[in-house]
Amino acid sequence: MRRLVLLVAPPLAFGALLLFGWDLWVRLRDIQPYILPAPSEVGAAFLDEPGRYLGALVESLVTALAGLVLASTVAFGLAVLMAHSRVLERAIYPPALLVKVTPIVAVYPLLLIWFGFGTSPRVAVAALITFFPMLVNAVVGLRQVDPAALDVLRVLNASRAQVFWKLRLPSSLPYVFAALRISVPLSLIGAVVAEFLAGAGGMGQLILIANGEFDTDVLFAAVFVLAAAGIGITAVLSYVEARVLRWMTSAERQQMGA
Amino acid sequence: MPVTTASPAAAIALHGLAHTYPGADGPLPALAPTDLEVREGEFVSLVGPSGCGKTTLLRAVAGLLEPSGGEVALLGATPRAVQRARQVGLVAQEPGLLPWRTVEQNVRLPLEVTGAEGDVGAMLRQVGIAGFERYRPAELSGGMRQRVALARALVHRPRVLLMDEPFGALDELSREAMRLELLRIWEAERITVLFVTHAVREAVLLSDRVVVMSPRPGRIVHDLRIELPRPRSEAMEDSPAFIEAVRRVRSALRADELAEVRGDEQASAG
Repeated sequence: MRRLVLLVAPPLAFGALLLFGWDLWVRLRDIQPYILPAPSEVGAAFLDEPGRYLGALVESLVTALAGLVLASTVAFGLAVLMAHSRVLERAIYPPALLVKVTPIVAVYPLLLIWFGFGTSPRVAVAALITFFPMLVNAVVGLRQVDPAALDVLRVLNASRAQVFWKLRLPSSLPYVFAALRISVPLSLIGAVVAEFLAGAGGMGQLILIANGEFDTDVLFAAVFVLAAAGIGITAVLSYVEARVLRWMTSAERQQMGA
Repeated sequence: MPVTTASPAAAIALHGLAHTYPGADGPLPALAPTDLEVREGEFVSLVGPSGCGKTTLLRAVAGLLEPSGGEVALLGATPRAVQRARQVGLVAQEPGLLPWRTVEQNVRLPLEVTGAEGDVGAMLRQVGIAGFERYRPAELSGGMRQRVALARALVHRPRVLLMDEPFGALDELSREAMRLELLRIWEAERITVLFVTHAVREAVLLSDRVVVMSPRPGRIVHDLRIELPRPRSEAMEDSPAFIEAVRRVRSALRADELAEVRGDEQASAG
């Protein structure tokens, strides 16, 4: 309990201090609300119509999750092929890198032409932006097996499938989670950017409309909702990771950057 | 493919086995053409300084390395055939345990892979880790982990056990304990063991024969029979016969070192 208080109290206190300073600044300087609304006004904007924010957030999260699942599945599948064949690795890596370095905004008009104006192009953006981290990490993870364990399996004449299920796949999990720590927040960014560009759907549209109407308090509320969502999904991911990888020592986990 | 025992006497037979690694600075000869026979049920150690090709030899016998020359006959067949017949157990310096599996699950691995029958519980008792079934490798000491690796290597009842410096990473006390544990297990099971080490006393205590190897390129320079009675025990290490055997192996190793130093001197003088 004491540890929990010590853990939570400093950031909360500092956050409160920031909010207080913000509020004070707005009042003393008499700043216009369309430039910088007071924290109380941002809170009021949220409490005014919380359903609007949460509905938009859920829409963005669904888009992000769809893109993430799609990209991660395809990327992991390709990684399995690449981990087993240097030729395939050389073949697949350059186009994958091309996907990574191409600015997603430049591709978006194409996505609109191909996928229409529904949710598909937004899912595609979330997918494209999360594809590469999973691919690269999964290839490394699937290759990074304990050579001594691999020798034991080879001496037992284990099939490729047995080596995959019993050694490569579990060995890759820490790397898969390392990829997810990058790609989960990225997927939400991708979804919101796509909604913003399309002017349709989720938090992106909400922000775009609020911006057009100079509803700066709504803008701020949207930003805080997105930030809270980001913290939330990262926490969920950390929890799942700790459960799945509980066989790793904490030192090994630190090495993986968890 | 059935593993035949056409010549039941030789569990392992090497004929002109040689290997050269393709190095960055040109080919690296690791093992000169080598002949060696190990009888069924014999415990043979390979000793020698690092770089003498003893690990290369063992990996060729295990079928983990395709030698660049010569032949390996394992139980009268090729190493690949013996792998297919699941007649080999392997213990290396690194235990190579799967960290996400418990001790019990790690020892069960060969049974899962081969479909063979085996008694995991009995195996754990035999290597002295009964009661640790539910532990994960990260929770065990180095010595305990190597016991798990030994249990895993034996659980599917292989006819040949290949060990590559299995106790090399252990502290002296664990090493001593493992040595006696292996001695006890082997004297009960009498399977064929090829054991790579650079610890002379260890080799003498365990082995029927100690094969001394020399580096650059690796080759066998001595093949010494250890005429100590079985079963052997720790107490035997003080016996004159033991001390004499250790002395013979040491002098074989040293003679070879001296020859090499002399060779170097001649080379630098010329």
